[in-house]
Amino acid sequence: MRPNDRKYTKTHEWVKLSGEDVLIGITDFAVQELCSGNEGDLVYCDLPEPGRSIEAGETFGEIESVKAVADMNAPVAGTVTEINVHVEEHLEILSRDPWNQGWLIRMQPRSKALDGPELLDAAAYEAFITASKH
Amino acid sequence: MSGREAWRLLVTWAGEPGWNMALDEALHAGADSRPVLRFYTWKPHALSLGYFQRWQQFAPLASEQVLVRRFSGGGAIHHQDELTFSIAAAETHALFRGEVRNSYERVHGLLARAFATLGVRAELRGRDGLASDRAATGMCFHQSTPLDLAWDGRKGVGSAQRRSASRVLHHGSIKLGASALEEGVAVLRAHAPALEPAELARRIQAEFEDGLGCTFSREEPSASERELAARRAGFYRSDPFLRRR
Repeated sequence: MRPNDRKYTKTHEWVKLSGEDVLIGITDFAVQELCSGNEGDLVYCDLPEPGRSIEAGETFGEIESVKAVADMNAPVAGTVTEINVHVEEHLEILSRDPWNQGWLIRMQPRSKALDGPELLDAAAYEAFITASKH
Repeated sequence: MSGREAWRLLVTWAGEPGWNMALDEALHAGADSRPVLRFYTWKPHALSLGYFQRWQQFAPLASEQVLVRRFSGGGAIHHQDELTFSIAAAETHALFRGEVRNSYERVHGLLARAFATLGVRAELRGRDGLASDRAATGMCFHQSTPLDLAWDGRKGVGSAQRRSASRVLHHGSIKLGASALEEGVAVLRAHAPALEPAELARRIQAEFEDGLGCTFSREEPSASERELAARRAGFYRSDPFLRRR
């Protein structure tokens, strides 16, 4: 079961409250789709500059595996306050710990209520993934 | 009713390099939701850089080659004596569903069947490296992964994907003949000396029809796709995009 302390998107990002901010990352499912368990297959990650304002659903970054480039979309609107430089330099973290060490951006959210219609709890995300496999 | 899935088939020979990339962007946007297989060639010949490749590595070639940058990843490809193809469909399509690895296995399986009709025994590379691997050239065909399609112990198909907005664009380059920039790679004319892009395209189309149970409708790009391609062609060969990294 995936962590219950955050919300998920159908494009496989997560968002979690962290004090006055939110942390955003991508799910284990997204990582698995890109690299099939080969952590060395993730080769590059492009994250936004702090200060950038991002709308919900907008692409905030891109990640490249050896065989695909994929967009990463913001689950909520806000302003980027920090990016995880350590992950940019050590993408294997995304395979090992996408939930904690593998956060990608910290944002000051426009609203702290993580209740948008596009946001799923862990159980709903699990169901969505199961359905999408068939 | 046949029950076979309807695909679009686009064939655009001798396309201008920036326009070739821009039309793929239009197909990826998916205004027409039907899956589409596109075959194309390049005029003039061009070198396409992968989305994240560093400009500085290829800047010395700018005076002698037409350069564009792709929105798919991977290494650089010299589009000279080859058949290029793209496939655009929803990420939930049976061809693309699941892990990226699975989609490569499906696409390359279909290509291998088409190559077999030419007497070429192509297989996924697997664990071991290839005789075409070269260090640090930045060329797609000089780097191989287990999912790459190879024959004669060398890489013969260059592939990359872009996944965004629940859509997948799969780029592929199949070498018919040799290029000085891609020394040592596998070429189909080593086995089929008279092979031309149109004939190879016909054989691949047949394997898609058979393997996927689909039917193709040969069409021209739609008016909106042509408009987007014309408007965006310059972007893919523009300095800001070429030098984005």
